[in-house]
Amino acid sequence: MNAAFARCLWIARLTFLEAIRQRFFAFLFLLGAVLVLSSGAVRAFDFGHSELKFIADFGFGGLFLFGSILGVVMTAQLFFAEIDNRTALTLLAKPLGRGEFLVGKFLGTWAVLGVFVAVLAALLAVMMGARAAELAELAVERRLPPPECDLLGLAVAALLQWLRLGVVVALVLTVAAAARTFLFAVVVGALAVLAGQLQWLSQELLLKPAEAGLGRAVLWVLTHLLPNLQQFNLGDVLVLAPTQVPAGTLPWVFASGLAYIAAFLACAAFLFRRREI
Amino acid sequence: MRRLAPWLLFSALFLGVGLLAEQSWRRVRLGLPEIGRRQLEPTVGQGVLLGVLGGFRTVVADFTWIRSYVLWEKKTDRAGTELLMRAACALDPRSRFFWENAGLTIANDMGHWEIRRRGGYAKVPKDIQDHVLRGYARRGLDLMDEGVASTGGNAALLASAALVAELQLKDLALSADYYRRSAEARHAPWFAARFAAANLWKEGRRREAYDWYRAHWLKTLRLEEDGAPDDLKELRDMEQELRLPLLARLPLQPWEVAQPGLSTKPGDNVTTKPPVGGQSRK
Repeated sequence: MNAAFARCLWIARLTFLEAIRQRFFAFLFLLGAVLVLSSGAVRAFDFGHSELKFIADFGFGGLFLFGSILGVVMTAQLFFAEIDNRTALTLLAKPLGRGEFLVGKFLGTWAVLGVFVAVLAALLAVMMGARAAELAELAVERRLPPPECDLLGLAVAALLQWLRLGVVVALVLTVAAAARTFLFAVVVGALAVLAGQLQWLSQELLLKPAEAGLGRAVLWVLTHLLPNLQQFNLGDVLVLAPTQVPAGTLPWVFASGLAYIAAFLACAAFLFRRREI
Repeated sequence: MRRLAPWLLFSALFLGVGLLAEQSWRRVRLGLPEIGRRQLEPTVGQGVLLGVLGGFRTVVADFTWIRSYVLWEKKTDRAGTELLMRAACALDPRSRFFWENAGLTIANDMGHWEIRRRGGYAKVPKDIQDHVLRGYARRGLDLMDEGVASTGGNAALLASAALVAELQLKDLALSADYYRRSAEARHAPWFAARFAAANLWKEGRRREAYDWYRAHWLKTLRLEEDGAPDDLKELRDMEQELRLPLLARLPLQPWEVAQPGLSTKPGDNVTTKPPVGGQSRK
């Protein structure tokens, strides 16, 4: 068990080093950082929200958008690079299981996304912390209550974003394990992420009372097969109004995210085992 | 069957995970502002939905509002303006700004656009004009009602709705009801309670106006930093006009005696002048 885990970590380390050197990663990383840092300047376009809410939404939006692009493209690229360059054959000729190879790939890519999320979240925390301090001073002058800005909540929100990206990576690996080409994996992976982002619409339909029927049964099955990626979207609530998050919510979200990752990785391993390289 | 078995197993696994996610979503959705699916459907293809997907809800709501404002300035595309304004509200349902301004635009402006579209004020008969204006005022008020529900009863939004009910619908009872709700909400504007009482008074429901205003003063306004002396003056005037016996009136406040001219004796005439520029019972 320990040896298998060590082998997974070894693949993860290689994947991490390979990914972090990619120009694509550096480009999106820079773009995300610029977006977060520019949120203060763009707030002139804001109407009717608190400044902190605008900055938080801007930052979390950038984190998810660029993180998702990275998660879909980088995962498929790193996987197909091994297949196309035939390095996967060399690796799998050694005492390394296909499942271990996939888990290693997942951990490496997820770790890179962890760096991405951590740095961007830190930048967002600096932006929000600085502005919250300024606003608190103004509030004291005007005898108003200071705005709420929970940086611990921001750390939890960043963890949730990382978990969401983990689900995205595991989902794309499942697609890539069955796909023949990089392009197919990227397109189908991106569409699956899109469907996951919209899945809450069908979930909402199911939660409303309606007559049972074949259509509803099909909707139920499809809804439960697709991952719900909106459930990780608690960023601005956790930072600006942590009391609005119902008690006991976060353990459910973390459990659900980890369960999705495990299920997708199991499916990916099964598909990869049947695949001819 | 053996070939199908793994797929059945994975389907069961994903259904199980899906059930776990459903439990998680039931909790998460309580903390998230609900997106009005019906309001967003007509905007599909205009970048609005993609914004929601990308997580930039606030930003997309702002830019949707700017686009609606461009149409509002042209004053010709009523449907387009309303659609985009409603989309901004749906994207960020907890923001008072969008609900209030969308409601006021529909209630105050769109009726006039419609009359102009039908040929202008000289051509459209007066009763049709009134019908159109009232129709749009009602429509704006309905939108504000949605906003009140989405913002958890925002006091300023309720006060704006009261203004529409009074000025556009000429419905003083409805206006008084909105002002009353505004006065009882958190961060109520200073004028809400007085206007609620004034509109009830003008409706002829004088005793009801006094009773509510008095109860509200005792429960809320009296506890304010300055003890709300203007509201007490208004209440004293009401007591005079209703000719209430001394024992039925509000007890004399200690600070009333200390401020000459503030307290009114039972036999005095009304001393308070109607406030200038504000809403008066007179």
